[in-house]
Amino acid sequence: MNRSARGLAAMILAAAAIVPAHAQDPRIENRLDAPSRIAISALLDSARAQGIPVEPLMQKMYEGLAVGADGPRIVSAVRNLKVEMATVHRALGTVATADEIKAAASAVHAGVPAVELGKIKKQSGLRRSLTLPFTVLADIVSRGVPVEAGVNAIRSLVGAGAKDADINDFQRNVSGDIEKGAPPAAAAETRAKAVPAGKPESTKPEQDDH
Amino acid sequence: MPEWGGGRTTLEMIVQELQHPVRLDESFERRVMVRVRRLHAERRSRGWVAVASRVTHRPGWAAALAASVVAVVTLGLIKSRPESARDSGGVGMAPVQFVLVAPNARSVAVVGDFNNWGLNDSALVATNHQGVWSVTAPVPAGVHRYAFLVNGKQWVADPSAPRSTDDDFGMPSSALVVEDSTR
Repeated sequence: MNRSARGLAAMILAAAAIVPAHAQDPRIENRLDAPSRIAISALLDSARAQGIPVEPLMQKMYEGLAVGADGPRIVSAVRNLKVEMATVHRALGTVATADEIKAAASAVHAGVPAVELGKIKKQSGLRRSLTLPFTVLADIVSRGVPVEAGVNAIRSLVGAGAKDADINDFQRNVSGDIEKGAPPAAAAETRAKAVPAGKPESTKPEQDDH
Repeated sequence: MPEWGGGRTTLEMIVQELQHPVRLDESFERRVMVRVRRLHAERRSRGWVAVASRVTHRPGWAAALAASVVAVVTLGLIKSRPESARDSGGVGMAPVQFVLVAPNARSVAVVGDFNNWGLNDSALVATNHQGVWSVTAPVPAGVHRYAFLVNGKQWVADPSAPRSTDDDFGMPSSALVVEDSTR
């Protein structure tokens, strides 16, 4: 084998190594029909090109396989999730983490406009993760809290510097109140006022004390 | 061919890396030659010179080996790049206890996006304590969706956790946010 042939062989091996992992994933093989596999592969490639997290899309496919859904239904679910994540990705901006995008997509799925999530993100600054606040927002809206009341409650909590533990308590209290018969909007508004205020997050840069 | 940052294909990046000359530590050649001369002196009578000369007289293979190393390292660097939005950095794991009160259940397992929804027997099997089923497992930091699988077929959301609204397949599930304990 001459030098150029060896070089070519090395290049081919290198190229083979970068075939997308999902194309060879044994969890997919024999579980999903070929057209659906191709459709999902295209959706994953498209998401990757748009800078959208791919792992949640993969997990949506696995979830569909686990419940025994057929290929077209899985493709539809993956496509819908991709659209929702693309929407929140635009609304939250490039500073959003993959987890924030995933949680925000759940809130959008529950009926919260992405633009409202973008406002909360803008208000909270870069350091405060909104993964839990978005998750709780999706939860309380799905329990009947009107979108506006839910957004206002989460915005006031985040604005007041509530910690994740406080927001967890808020979710537990609101869901408990609703289960006991309280009007969902009243439960959210009342419980949001009860959360102790922490150090508010600011979008302004920190002042240097030195 | 997949594209990475700046619209360059992976192949183009590999080619560019391979075009770079392989630079070795300046002392490398000197140290090698010292060892070779020492071996040469010690083993002259046993004919071991051929071993050393085989290495030094095959630059083609050495170049191919170096190119392979560069290619592997390059691929590793490319593949390790975040492929999407800003990485959450959620590499830490934290133990999470999943509990479901189900006195009449014969079996309870936990499936979620942290174990690929139980595909290939990856479900977490809970143990029964007088109707209180529980299992504790390390879960990666980040936001997750999960459900209890009761008696191998019934999907049940965790009543003590936030609901997940992504019930595209008609199955209830719950949301879980795991903090990165390493931060």
